Amino acid sequence: MISIQLNFRYTFILIFSAFLSLAGYKAKAQEDAADTTGLSADTVKPKPVVKEKSGRHLSLNLDLYHPVMSMTSSQKSGYEFAADYYTNHDLYVVAEGGWGSSKVDYPDLKYKTKNNFARFGVNRTLLYRYDSSDWDNLFIGARLSAADIQRTNANFVVTDTFWGPGSGATPGKDFMAYWIEMVLGVRVSVMKDVFLGWTFRAKFMLNGRSFNDLAPIYIAGYGRGDKNSAFDFDFYLTYSINWKRKYQRIGAAPIVADSVGRK
Amino acid sequence: MIKIKKWGLALALPMLLLACTQERGPCLTPKTASFNIVCVHLTTDTGTIPVDTTLPAAVFGAVTQGGNKLLVYAQSAKFTISLASNADSCTWLFTTDSLYHPFDTINFYYKRELQFLSNACGYAYFYNLDTFHITHHNIDSAHLLARSITNDINTTQFQIYIHPDF
Repeated sequence: MISIQLNFRYTFILIFSAFLSLAGYKAKAQEDAADTTGLSADTVKPKPVVKEKSGRHLSLNLDLYHPVMSMTSSQKSGYEFAADYYTNHDLYVVAEGGWGSSKVDYPDLKYKTKNNFARFGVNRTLLYRYDSSDWDNLFIGARLSAADIQRTNANFVVTDTFWGPGSGATPGKDFMAYWIEMVLGVRVSVMKDVFLGWTFRAKFMLNGRSFNDLAPIYIAGYGRGDKNSAFDFDFYLTYSINWKRKYQRIGAAPIVADSVGRK
Repeated sequence: MIKIKKWGLALALPMLLLACTQERGPCLTPKTASFNIVCVHLTTDTGTIPVDTTLPAAVFGAVTQGGNKLLVYAQSAKFTISLASNADSCTWLFTTDSLYHPFDTINFYYKRELQFLSNACGYAYFYNLDTFHITHHNIDSAHLLARSITNDINTTQFQIYIHPDF
């Protein structure tokens, strides 16, 4: 039943994310069509002056989702932050990091883990930018990620109703986890230099076999350590820093005759 | 762009609501190693191909510290028992029919291997059989077909040749 619920949840998220992406493209197409049709001289309005759009843009993102989820769970905690920088070609260079922990306290299995993680990658924007101050964004991206995990001794009880139970402990261990991510996200401005947004992430573990001796139940930044794929969600509060904006014209505004032929 | 803003923020809400607290999932794999046994016999004195021997009411008894624990099986040629997870050897008693005595004694000697199954299931012991000793009241001979004993229920590891007089 839990598996069905999870499948339903992921399917729901995927469908709505795809729907949002299509809606974004459709809105852009409609805007483009409006710009290129109905070209009689008296109805065409001058296009906005095309400005240099390469202003420096650095965003600092604080994830609110995982801290909230950490408050509702006694088993795991995770904290994430991110920074991205615009590189002029609809690409953002992204660095993300964070930390977290997990605690397994079952009758037959007890251990704790903690880890730090880092992710690096790029986002590519899917939306047309109106001008240099337009940083609203619908984007896709990719990440290469790594986590440094420390696990305590694992105390276990082997239940055997026939011969009698046995117990023991496996020694603690430090190990690395590597994974890649595909990202779909949205970021919208809510006030000057402040944005809200979310990302949906599909994650694929690259070295899951290396810690099959006791796969951690939770790896902050990844999700369930005993799964080779995971899905995750972030809700970001973003503060952007903009500098060296260049408003130089790179093309003159078109001169269009009005209805009486004046220019 | 305004639509994008509304939808983008609105979508965040159901996603938050859909999130659930992680709990221990159900254990979907066997937590005990299965030691699978088949009883066979040869149809003729010179025969070489064993045939499964259906026993009417076979009894396996585990000699434990708390006393003997008997498992009485319905009519079958295939049986599943377990090895002691708290020792490197164990003793089973065996007879072909609950009404027939005496019992044979089978001693198994093995190495235990701790195996992590999953966070849902915890740990289990798997085994690697070294050798065994038997008596010959009901048993003519026995053979190891596989030394590795895991939670795979489909692999038969031990073959018991029932005495021709049965």
